[in-house]
Amino acid sequence: MAILELCGVTMSYGSGRARKAALADVSLRIAEGAFALLQGPSGAGKSTLLKLILAMERPEHGTIRVADRDIARLRKSSIPYLRRNVGAVFQDFKLLSDATPRENVALALQVLGLPRAHVDARARKALADVELDPDTRRPVRCLSGGEQQRVAIARALAGEPAILLADEPTGNLDPRLTREILELLGSVCQRGTTVLLATHDPLVHEHAAASHVLALTDGRLVADSEGLARALVAAPTPESTVEPIGVPA
Amino acid sequence: MNRALTSLVYIIARGVRGMVQAPLVQVLAMATIAVCMLLLGTVVLVWQNAQSIADRWGVDVPITVYLVDEVEPAAASELASRLATVAGVSSSETIAPELALQRLVEGLGDDPGLLDGVDADVLPTSIEVRLADSSASDDAAVLAAQLRSEPIVEEVVVAGAWAERAEQLLATLRQVAIGAAALVGFACLTIVWSTIRLAVYARRAEIQILRLVGGTAAFVRGPFVVEGLVQGALGATLAVALLWLGFAEVGSLVADAFALAFAAGSLRFLSPPECIVLVGFGAALGVLGSRAAVARYVEA
Repeated sequence: MAILELCGVTMSYGSGRARKAALADVSLRIAEGAFALLQGPSGAGKSTLLKLILAMERPEHGTIRVADRDIARLRKSSIPYLRRNVGAVFQDFKLLSDATPRENVALALQVLGLPRAHVDARARKALADVELDPDTRRPVRCLSGGEQQRVAIARALAGEPAILLADEPTGNLDPRLTREILELLGSVCQRGTTVLLATHDPLVHEHAAASHVLALTDGRLVADSEGLARALVAAPTPESTVEPIGVPA
Repeated sequence: MNRALTSLVYIIARGVRGMVQAPLVQVLAMATIAVCMLLLGTVVLVWQNAQSIADRWGVDVPITVYLVDEVEPAAASELASRLATVAGVSSSETIAPELALQRLVEGLGDDPGLLDGVDADVLPTSIEVRLADSSASDDAAVLAAQLRSEPIVEEVVVAGAWAERAEQLLATLRQVAIGAAALVGFACLTIVWSTIRLAVYARRAEIQILRLVGGTAAFVRGPFVVEGLVQGALGATLAVALLWLGFAEVGSLVADAFALAFAAGSLRFLSPPECIVLVGFGAALGVLGSRAAVARYVEA
């Protein structure tokens, strides 16, 4: 069953002669429980695609279905409820820098209106799941980049979303931390959460245990290996529809 | 505790936390509201005292009918009743000598001893006649002429043109006060909005995160509204306190300087309910300002 389905999605920025297409007639399906890798160079439309799934932007044409619900025409008042079901992590972490990791994670649970004791218990568990000390009193600005990204992942997963979107989550990290974060995302996927990871980094493609690889160039989906693993991308077979775009030699 | 109530607790807690984390911004916003409410309170206070003085001057009693000595109370009442039925008269009231003396004593304010030993009998019984708002300008003069022919009437005093001018002045003053209050209120809202917007701008990252994790508009806006409410209420309370201090210092000087005008009664400060309304208005201003300031960031 598809957890995420885009059909004929078109989106552009600007107007008149300055108008620039960000996505052109993009259609894709991501199965529940998949680890999908969305790759492409900067400006290819990866972030725009994730913003559309988070309802931060609206498509000009096409439908976007998350858990079988069309979100492209979602009412504004319903958007927060969608976001509770779609976790997101970003390159710049988007954390409250003066708050502790537990306070940051708790924020995602407080919006659900859960009692304080539940919030505390679930925040602790989410931090423990990403191998961070739930009791640390240090503000997140004092943590390393890798630890900050773990806090962001813990926050995104605390509400037990159906899908986790990761927009260049390793963009600010060195190769060792990149591998750690990719392993963590892999284990998140193994626990049942669908992961959609957008990156332009070949290292990510090399180390991510992706079950589904997609490639965007100039807003167009140029490759989709639904069901194919990274190994197929590295050595494509004649039957494979995957184009080895951005794959390191 | 249900989820809505739990969310409210989180909103209030985050509002309080926001205030504690940025005390300077809170002081700035509170001081801004205090200055605005001080301006507004001053306008209200001046207008209210002007109205009060005008009342004491008797502007709203255009005809006073003084009756002959030894008039029977029944005859006075009968004339008052007859007057009440005349077209253009809104009310007529018999003022017994005792009531007239009591008003005089009250009118002397801090110096009631001046009338010690004065007997109420030296004052005549009178009838105060008020005209309807719809009455013509010369109705008072016509009615006064008719009254002078009554056997029990000693003298008729018509406030006449002076009263009319005073009424016009008072009406103008009222319009100016309402206009000034509206202007100051709008200026207050703009200044408060600008001040709170600074605080909101400083915390835009937090707002973005709250939206990202699925916070509803009310959840994101709530803490800022709580802050606005507290800032507004505290700022307005400070303004009332400063107004009271200023009134205590300046009020007596003004009363002394214009002793003739204020001889009939002393100036008065806002009543407790009026103070509460002013504080409530300040709180509402804070809420409106914060709602407006946070609006564009709350949009999903």
